[in-house]
Amino acid sequence: MAIIETFGLSRYFGKVAAVEDLTLAVEAGEVLGFLGPNGAGKTTTIRMLAGMIAPTRGYAVVAGHRTERNVEQLHEVIGMLTQTPGLYDRLSARRNLEYFASFYPSIESKSQVEKYLKLIGLWKRCNDKVGTFSKGMKQRLALARALVHEPKVLFLDEPTAGLDPEAAGEVRQLIRSLREEGRTIFLSTHNLNEAEMLCNRIAVLHTRLLALDTPDQLRRRFFRRQIVVQLETSDAKVTEAAKKLPFVQDIREEGSQLVLELTDSELNRPELVRAIVEAGGRVIGVSEKQYPLEEVYLRLIREETGNES
Amino acid sequence: MSRRHIRNILLKEWALLFTDPNSAFVVTLVPFLIVGQVILYIWLAFRFGAEGMLSAPVFQAALQKLVGAIPGVGQLPGEEQLLVLLLSQVNFFLLLIPTMIAMSVATFSIVDEKLSGSLEALLATPVKTRDLLLGKALAGAIPALVVTWLSAGVFLLVVWAVGWAEFIGFVVTARWFLTLFLLTPALAILSFMLGVAGSSRAKDARSAQNIALAIIFPVFGLIGIQVTGIVWFTPLLILVLAVVIAIAAFVSLRATVRLFGRESIVVQWR
Repeated sequence: MAIIETFGLSRYFGKVAAVEDLTLAVEAGEVLGFLGPNGAGKTTTIRMLAGMIAPTRGYAVVAGHRTERNVEQLHEVIGMLTQTPGLYDRLSARRNLEYFASFYPSIESKSQVEKYLKLIGLWKRCNDKVGTFSKGMKQRLALARALVHEPKVLFLDEPTAGLDPEAAGEVRQLIRSLREEGRTIFLSTHNLNEAEMLCNRIAVLHTRLLALDTPDQLRRRFFRRQIVVQLETSDAKVTEAAKKLPFVQDIREEGSQLVLELTDSELNRPELVRAIVEAGGRVIGVSEKQYPLEEVYLRLIREETGNES
Repeated sequence: MSRRHIRNILLKEWALLFTDPNSAFVVTLVPFLIVGQVILYIWLAFRFGAEGMLSAPVFQAALQKLVGAIPGVGQLPGEEQLLVLLLSQVNFFLLLIPTMIAMSVATFSIVDEKLSGSLEALLATPVKTRDLLLGKALAGAIPALVVTWLSAGVFLLVVWAVGWAEFIGFVVTARWFLTLFLLTPALAILSFMLGVAGSSRAKDARSAQNIALAIIFPVFGLIGIQVTGIVWFTPLLILVLAVVIAIAAFVSLRATVRLFGRESIVVQWR
């Protein structure tokens, strides 16, 4: 069941379109990665979905609430992590969380605050002022703030931006554990590896929605499925033998590897291996060629910007 | 309106206020500096400038109005009448305290949160704009009020200590109580509402500060009118003024809620 749905959602600032005609659905328990270059409209979309700004055209329904109408009810069921942690430096971690938790009447704030301080690993420092925390700790605390009222939907706007690799890793680990709990997460990020690591599906936005699919399906949109046969050494005889197979549509050598496109990469694989071995090839491994998501993303963006120009 | 939300905002604001050395200084020490200065000026004027002041038409007119309002003052020698006149102005000088604290605290209350990024997170909670603004205004107005009353107490204590105890009866009148317990609270709330309103419309700390200056000018005007005796503030006039200011505070709350513009705060502020 879709927990986030947008219908032709658009937002203009003056005459400039920030988001145009965005229609998508996110299932409950899904982690959707929202990718796009700077100024693509990611934050504007999140703000519209979180009821912070109104759409110019179209509408969105989040957890059963029209985002531009039932703002207070909507805010009770969503959690939001903004680009900056936005915490009170002179207050303790516990006081920060208690303050934000106090706006949700349905929760027992003390126990929730304790639960999330423990979850993010800051329980021992709960009475320390936030101003003494590292960036990573602040970001974890901000994530706890977004979670403290057990929201149905979590919006994360570039949660690892500006963090060092270790701190980013800690935040990702937290998001991964939330994913395992079955939370619905709308994750805006620039980091393609992060998106692939954490998300079930990925949406690529450049004012308009360019693509929305699983990482594998997005790859297949641009790159045909290819099989990589790692040989002990390259051998022209082996390449020739493979080329003669009727289901081999394309073949090329890359060092001691053969990269092939097959009619059916699952069914034809055993026969291919047998033919190579019969031709004297020594097979070390067979795998599917993985194109980095970055290439898919860049192609999508280039296509779009090419169209624009 | 959620009393729980307002209380939470209030407590958080106080926690921040009293952990910031600058704000804590303004709230706790500046009022006493104002009172100390006022007493010093009165003492200097009484000691060295009484003769000149008594011959000035402005003060003669003011003295006439004072004697009209408190006939007992007419029995005193001229210099002591002047002293009573000067001491009776202090309740109006005390109005400076909440307005100055509002300038220093309220005008940054929204801007600071926006600049630190906490406002966007706060606006993503179910908090109502009215509760947020009222909580912030009260968080400043309440300590400002308490400090103003304490300052008034300190003023009377010093008046007694310097040997002017016999004049306290002419100063602590219905005017004094109405100014302190009706006009000052109304003005404190209005100042803080205007401060928060300015802060919510300002795009950065500097423009918030500029807006804040506008709050204090009317208070200077009131003091000027009183000191020069242009208008003698009778208890009835103070009552009317307090009611007008209270209505203005209520209207400014409603106007600020309407002008708050969550969207422009989220989108335009950086």
